[in-house]
Amino acid sequence: MRSVSVAGIGSTAFGRLPNMPIEALAVEAAATGLEDARIDQREIGALYLGNFISGPLTGQEVLAGIVGDNLGLPNVPCTKVEGACASGGIAFRHAVLAIATGQCDAALVVGVEKMTHATTPDVTAALNCAMDNRADGVSGLTFPGLFGIAWRVHTQRYGTNREQVSAVVMKNKRNGLKNPLAQMGANLTAEQIAASALICDPLQLYDCCPASDGAAALVLVASDRLDRKDRVDVAATVQTRGAARIAGHPDLCSFDATVQAARRAYEQSGLSPKDIDFVELHDCFSIAEVIDSEDLGIAPRGKGAVYAAEGRTAVGGEIPINPSGGLLAKGHPVGATGVGQLYEATLQLRGKHPNQVQGAAIGLTHNLGGTGVACTVNILKRSDA
Amino acid sequence: MPDVSVLKCRKCGALDAGPRLLCPNCRSRALEAAQVEGKGTLLSWTIIRRAPAKMKALAPYAVCVVDLEAGVRVTGRLQAVDAALRPGARVRCAALEGGVAIFSAEA
Ligand SMILES: [Zn+2]
Repeated sequence: MRSVSVAGIGSTAFGRLPNMPIEALAVEAAATGLEDARIDQREIGALYLGNFISGPLTGQEVLAGIVGDNLGLPNVPCTKVEGACASGGIAFRHAVLAIATGQCDAALVVGVEKMTHATTPDVTAALNCAMDNRADGVSGLTFPGLFGIAWRVHTQRYGTNREQVSAVVMKNKRNGLKNPLAQMGANLTAEQIAASALICDPLQLYDCCPASDGAAALVLVASDRLDRKDRVDVAATVQTRGAARIAGHPDLCSFDATVQAARRAYEQSGLSPKDIDFVELHDCFSIAEVIDSEDLGIAPRGKGAVYAAEGRTAVGGEIPINPSGGLLAKGHPVGATGVGQLYEATLQLRGKHPNQVQGAAIGLTHNLGGTGVACTVNILKRSDA
Repeated sequence: MPDVSVLKCRKCGALDAGPRLLCPNCRSRALEAAQVEGKGTLLSWTIIRRAPAKMKALAPYAVCVVDLEAGVRVTGRLQAVDAALRPGARVRCAALEGGVAIFSAEA
C-alpha cells in the first residue's frame, strides 16, 4: 500500500447559507481545495463525495457526477457514498484506498449537506432515515432520544452530572468563537445551559448541535508525488459497522463501532492514544463527546465528562478535543462533517489553525453515523513527525 | 399482562426482537413469531418532546430499552414516568400499541 498525503484543503463556512445551492457549496469547497493543492483538475483520478440526504431535502442526486462536471474533471469515477453522519469520513477512506492501491495518484474528497432551507419536521424526518425504521422507528425514537437514553445510563453507572456535561458544551462553544467557519460559537454559562429547554431528558437545547449548510474538500495525492514542506500524511483510516438498532448495542453508553475503529486505527498507525496531540470527534450531542472520548481511549471509561470539567480537553489542556468547536459550535452539515474534521485537523498540523494546539504533530478524527451503525476513525500526522 | 411478540429461529432457537429477514446467528430464513413473557429490567429511557411528524399526537412520550427475562433486548415505551424511576427497575408489559410494547414499573 502506498502512503497518501493531504495536498490541499477547502471549506465553506458552516451555517445558514441561503444563497448557496447544494452543488455550489460542494464546488466552492472543492475548487478552493484544488487551488490550495496547486494541482490541475485534469490530474484528479477519482472523486468521492460524502452526502446523506440531498435527495429528500433538495431533490438532487448524482451529486458526485454534477460536482465532477462543474470542476472540469476528466472522465474519471465520481462516486457518492452514504453512511448517515459518517458519510464524509467514508468518502475520505475510499479516496485514500484508491490512491494507496494504485488506482490513481490523486483523488478529490468532498462532503456536503444543505439543510437550513427545510422545515424542522422535514429535517427531522430526513434525519430519521438514518435509523432502522422498521425496528427503532416504530417506537418513536429520535436521535436526540438515543443520546438521552445513553446519558441516563452514564449517570447511573458513573455518576456523571449536568455540570460536568455542561463543561463539554461551554468548551466547544468557546472554541467555536475562534473559528471563522463556525456557525454558533458562544460564551455560555452553566446556568444558561441548565435553563435551556428540555429536548430528550436529560438532553437540553444547548446539548444539541444545529442543522447546517456547508461543504468541505480535500485533495489527496500519493506521498511521493508531493513536494510540500508542511505535508500532512494519512497514518490510518478505518471504517467499521456497528448495530443498526438501539437494542442491538451490547452497552447503551458505548459504541462498539467506535471502539473497534479506534483499536484498528492505533494498530494501523503503530500509535497509541497517548501519542495523539488533539482530537476532532463526533459531538452531535454533548454526551456523545463524553462517550466518544472514552470509546477512543482518550479518557478513561466513565471519566469523559470529568476530563472536560477539569479542563484537560481544552486547547492548552493535556488532550484538546474539538478545538474547531466541534459539531456543537461549528455546526453539522451531516455529509460534510467528516471531511470538515479532516480539514480542521490538516490546518492544525500545518500550524495554521485559528485555535492552534501548540506543537500539534498527530491528530485523530472520529465520525459516527446513525445509531452507531457506521464509523470512521482517521489519524493524520505531520510528515516530519 | 400481555406477552411480547419476538422472533424465534426454528433452526437454532435464537430469539431476536425483530423485525429481521434472516437469523443473525445461523442465517436461516425460518423465523417465526414467538410470544415471550413481558417481564424484564428497565435499562434506560428518555422523554421525547419533539416527536417525528407521524408520532406528534402522542408526544411527549417515553421511549425505553428493556432486557426481557426471556433473553431479548427490546425497544418500547413507558406508560408513565415518575420521579422515583431508576434504571434497573423491574418492569412488565402493560399493553401493546401498534406492535410496540408499553411497559410499566412493577408495584
Ligand atoms: Zn438461527
